[in-house]
Amino acid sequence: MWTCHPPLASLSSLVADPTLLDRHLVFVAGKGGAGKSTVTAALALLAARAGKRVLVCEVNAPQPRIAALLGAEVVGSAATRPAIHVLNVQPAEAMHEYGLMVLRFKAVTHAVFENRLIRYFLRAIPSLAELVVLGKILHEARSRGPQGPRWDLVLVDAPATGHAVQLLRVPSALLDAVPAGPLRHDAEWMERLLVDPVQTAVALVTLPEETPVNEALELDAQVRGVLGMSRAGLFVNAVPASRLSPAEVAALAGARDAPPPLGPAVRAAALASIRAEEARRHLARLRAALDLPTTLLPLLPSVGWGPPQVEAIADAMARAWRGDEEAA
Amino acid sequence: MSVRARLADRRIAVCVGPGGVGKTTTAAALALARAVEGGRALVCTIDPARRLANALGLTALGNVEARIPAARLEAAGLRPKGELWAMMLDVKRTWDDLVSRNAPDPARRDRILGNRLYQQMSSALAGSQEYMAMEKLHELAVERDYDLIVLDTPPTAHALDFLDAPNRILDFLGNDAARAFLAPAMGAGRFGLRLAQLSGAYAARLLARFTGQQALADLGEFLQNFQGMYDGFKKRAAAVRALLGRPEVGFVLVTAPNELALAEVLAFHDRLAADRMPVAGLVVNRLTPDLWTDEGPLPAPAELAALLPGTPARVPDRLPALLAAVLAEHQDLVRGERAALAPVLTRVVGACAMVPRLETDVHDLAGLARLSAWL
Repeated sequence: MWTCHPPLASLSSLVADPTLLDRHLVFVAGKGGAGKSTVTAALALLAARAGKRVLVCEVNAPQPRIAALLGAEVVGSAATRPAIHVLNVQPAEAMHEYGLMVLRFKAVTHAVFENRLIRYFLRAIPSLAELVVLGKILHEARSRGPQGPRWDLVLVDAPATGHAVQLLRVPSALLDAVPAGPLRHDAEWMERLLVDPVQTAVALVTLPEETPVNEALELDAQVRGVLGMSRAGLFVNAVPASRLSPAEVAALAGARDAPPPLGPAVRAAALASIRAEEARRHLARLRAALDLPTTLLPLLPSVGWGPPQVEAIADAMARAWRGDEEAA
Repeated sequence: MSVRARLADRRIAVCVGPGGVGKTTTAAALALARAVEGGRALVCTIDPARRLANALGLTALGNVEARIPAARLEAAGLRPKGELWAMMLDVKRTWDDLVSRNAPDPARRDRILGNRLYQQMSSALAGSQEYMAMEKLHELAVERDYDLIVLDTPPTAHALDFLDAPNRILDFLGNDAARAFLAPAMGAGRFGLRLAQLSGAYAARLLARFTGQQALADLGEFLQNFQGMYDGFKKRAAAVRALLGRPEVGFVLVTAPNELALAEVLAFHDRLAADRMPVAGLVVNRLTPDLWTDEGPLPAPAELAALLPGTPARVPDRLPALLAAVLAEHQDLVRGERAALAPVLTRVVGACAMVPRLETDVHDLAGLARLSAWL
């Protein structure tokens, strides 16, 4: 599929362990509600600040969110802000596009792919939707302009855990099932690009809570085992700041029921401390099980999410990475 | 009035809402509360977290209900006057049962059950879980005599998918365009494409390249075998839909106090109202408790320093400033949540339960009982 261009040469293959933003294609994956879209948007901001041309792909999102998080202008299923292009990859559109590339003529494509029927087959044939969506993303990742690769970085806001694995394993499943031919040829280059540790990686996103941590551990095992893909790092969202030490909170216990303002302040401190302790416990569990560069992102005291919050998260990421360098 | 009280005269509670807001836990707590009060209550869950499943004894269950032993409830400090039952929906088996009931003869049934595409579809097709959850609910409501059935619903990409799923699946099963496209396979028993209707060989080349001939053959065979059963499915789906509009049903909207979850729950609420489905109430989980009910401004560090135990000289410098900052952040969160909630609270009819953020995950019967006290 999408074989119009030669595969991108691995120019950077001399780099032993590329950092996340040096990769060419990064899938951001994790449990639903763990903050994948926020992490994806913040990574896009950091890459753009570093002068990279970035494409952000959402996968068949019923309500696309990345453009709003970046404050980007939306045109149809695409949106732009300087240096960042956002795309909501939808199966029916991707299939039309593929049809155009093979058939070359718009009129013929429409005649062949009457919309209702396309949608029908996309639903009916197992993995067809995943195949065209992943094909579109990988095609973008290796498409070239006059001066080299069209995008320096392609970021994918992947679907929730199980669906992400389903999406990423389509090429290898095809390799198991399909005899030699054009489809097999497509599956081969797709799989090569996915498992290339220099170009491509998965970034895991989770929260410091029971179920999200369990799911992150399961996803990590699948990325290594089932998919054989490289992992670029772990992002833990909404980590509560540790303000008062447990000892300080304990020393104040007697004042919990004091009248305002002391009582409420002590109760707020106690609640914050409990949350921080819980988070620490789950972080310890993650760190014991996963040997991955880990970026902790702060819990922002905010309910709404938009460009200012994403900027704040991007700043926190940059600070965390600088801190790592200083420590090393 | 509490959500529990609103459900007192209902036989069916359907918990709906986005993923990750405590829907399953809320459903289980509602059933437990009714059992404690003296009813026969069943909770039907879709995909419970492992520890909750263990707590309910769901690990060994298939697609049938099981009673939580009274001893297990008593061990959790509960004295139930009624019975608590629980089950985990098995989507594949519910499909199989439905096909078996509707098939005109055993041979046709076996051909469908053995079809590869059917096997894939019955576990993976989008909307399949939602459709089967409603199908199972209808069976339980008609064939059993529980005082209360609480249905937990699967997390949907979009809240409205839940109500639309049966129609979407029926459209899938009865799609005339696809049947026409694959028609030659049905008559001849051999697979071929009616190319003349669809711009010739292009369609065949393209589709077969994606799918292989076998997948299209499976689909043709499936649609052929399904013909004739379609009306039965359609009648059944209409019956399920009618059941959901009856006054003995109460939808419980479950959400968390963030913008995304609230927007979704509001969309669902408006859709239920438009379809005349009965809403029993709203449950807002993980609410940050309001600690500053005073009208006045939040305290400055100096105010707190003066009140801290011990002589001022012995209070560490950082403590008053930290306490002031923690309280201010806490109240920022409270204000944000209340502001996001306000438009929802003015629109939603029925009872409303505000559940504070509990200090640990709810994963046992005692935890469910504590949660139910808030509902």
